[in-house]
Amino acid sequence: MLLVSSKFANEKVTIDDSSPESTARIRVVFDKGKLASADPPTTVLFMGGG
Amino acid sequence: MPLMRVSQRALLGSLCVVLLLAASGKASQPAEKLKPEEQKVIDYLVNDWGKDYSVTSVDVAMDALKMKQSDEARFRIGSYIKAHPELHEVIRRWGWVTLVLTPDEKLIARALINAARDGKPAPGVAEIARAVGVSESRVKRGLLMLEQYEILKKDSTVGGAGYKVMPRYLKWEPRLDFLFHKVRLASGRQFNTN
Repeated sequence: MLLVSSKFANEKVTIDDSSPESTARIRVVFDKGKLASADPPTTVLFMGGG
Repeated sequence: MPLMRVSQRALLGSLCVVLLLAASGKASQPAEKLKPEEQKVIDYLVNDWGKDYSVTSVDVAMDALKMKQSDEARFRIGSYIKAHPELHEVIRRWGWVTLVLTPDEKLIARALINAARDGKPAPGVAEIARAVGVSESRVKRGLLMLEQYEILKKDSTVGGAGYKVMPRYLKWEPRLDFLFHKVRLASGRQFNTN
């Protein structure tokens, strides 16, 4: 997330991940630092930090 | 006799030195020698790890180098990484398992580990294939890889796919183990991050 909003803020970034609770795959795409899509749509995305 | 005690101590000390030398000699022996193209994967990873929080895995490195993937080559490279934590801090910090398994293999491991932790029956090959979204033959290859790395052990008494999880991986960071975060940039660069 830090990279998506900083170093890669002008790029399209695809992240392949998985649910830590199961074996479900997750794909999230960011375009220019903003969320473009999340599959499955029920994906819960936490953004922020400090 | 005091002299005998001194001699015994000297003998014991010599034995300890011999054992230490033997142990250090064994540890410093290189793992199986890698083929030149496999060494290129190691060189790529050592250069890549740590950049942009990279914990890039062997399969991603082989893709980046446009190398033909095979389980045998990945296992040789992965075994070398497992045997050589001195290569990079990333191996010591994140562990060799994170770096040598593919996402499919991590999910296959997690299917078995989560079932064992939750006290559920061990899933069969077909069930794992459905859960992970891969073919049954891919699951069988993944199980074999996990067995070779001694993460799983063949045991027909557990039912299901016939593998039990080695105890240390059941106790290993629940819900935070066998994870992957693969990043692909529009430029084509791929890496895993932590």
